[in-house]
Formats: sequence, C-alpha cells, structure tokens
Amino acid sequence: MEQVQSLVNEICPTSTQVWVKRGAILVDVREQNEVEQLAFDVPSIVNIPLSEFEIRYKELAMDKELVIVCRSGSRSLRAAGFLINQGFDPAKVVNMKHGIIRWVQRGFPTKGDLSGIVDMNTGGCCDHGGNKGSGCC
Amino acid sequence: MYIKVLGPGCPKCKTTYTNVLEALKQTGVEAQVEKIEDIEEMMKYNVLTTPVLMIDEVAIIKGRVGDVNEIKKLLLKK
Repeated sequence: MEQVQSLVNEICPTSTQVWVKRGAILVDVREQNEVEQLAFDVPSIVNIPLSEFEIRYKELAMDKELVIVCRSGSRSLRAAGFLINQGFDPAKVVNMKHGIIRWVQRGFPTKGDLSGIVDMNTGGCCDHGGNKGSGCC
Repeated sequence: MYIKVLGPGCPKCKTTYTNVLEALKQTGVEAQVEKIEDIEEMMKYNVLTTPVLMIDEVAIIKGRVGDVNEIKKLLLKK
C-alpha cells in the first residue's frame, strides 16, 4: 500500500541515479544479512541497519545529500523521517520509493543474488501501459 | 492511562494491539487504547522499528511484540 506523508521527500530509483551522479550517498537501512545477499552497486553507500539506526545515525554527515534505501521503501521512509526529526535538512535527505525491488526491476546495478527479488512483481510508477503507480518519474 | 500501539498494520502490530486488549481485560486496568497506523503520525514519534507500545506517551516496547504477561506487568507497575 502506498504510504502518504509530507514529512519526507521521496524519489524513485530513476531520480536516485541523478542524485548518485551528483554525489549523493545511499544509506541502506536493510539488515546485514539482506545486504550480504544483494547490495546496491553505487560509488557511495553506507549500510546502517534499521535495528542500529538510533545509535549509529550520527555517522552520517548532515551536509551531504542522502538517499535512504531499503527493500521496499517502507523502512527507509521511517529512517528518513527519523533523520529529519533529528535536524537533518529535508532538502538533502530523501527516501527512495519502492526500494531495491524497483531498483532491480529498472535494471540498475547491484551486486549479489537477485533470486529473492526477481520474483517480485509490484508494477510501478515508471511503467508504461497498465501503470499502477503514482507517476513519480 | 493512555496506551498507543504504533505500527503500519503488520501482523506483529495487530498481535501487540490484541495483547494489550487482553492484558487490560485480565488486569481490569482502565485505559484508553489507540492504534496508530498512519506513517506521518508514526514519524512524529520518531519510530524506527515497529511495533511500538507506548504508555502515557513513553515508548515502553520497541520493535517487537509484547506478550500478554509482559504487558500485564507493565500495566500493573503504572
């Protein structure tokens, strides 16, 4: 189900590519075992599992652009909201909607085993024809 | 007493809510119970892991299901 909120700006995986190219850091909040199975393949990424986020969020630079990511975009939304509540700039912290599932569907680079993802068929905001999504890109 | 169960509507959150109601029934403690599933509302509480059980605006259990006996003890401590 689409989560509607206004605290956190959200971008799709395609827009995330633009952010990454201009130097944004991906912050992956999935747990370590998930990351070991399949990871985003981008130049700048840090993994701070949601279970450790409350303690470790201070490792993140407040002056950098941060794209928060997870499997489906739900956990990362909470983490992004948490950062903004802690004083991070809402213009610099965004949530990537639909997570690594949509990232893989778009064919963006990953490292690891795709088997847990390829069976997922969630439709999408960027689909042409039969579009189920919100037209984010 | 004011109890809130925060969570996006997942099975664990529903179980926590049910356990709260059962604990209240078994202890006879009177409380207002509210289930918060709205993501924006949840983010106001800085919730990272769900479910969260709040008693009188204090997060007592975070990121796991509280069982009935545990919740009963918490209610009786208040």
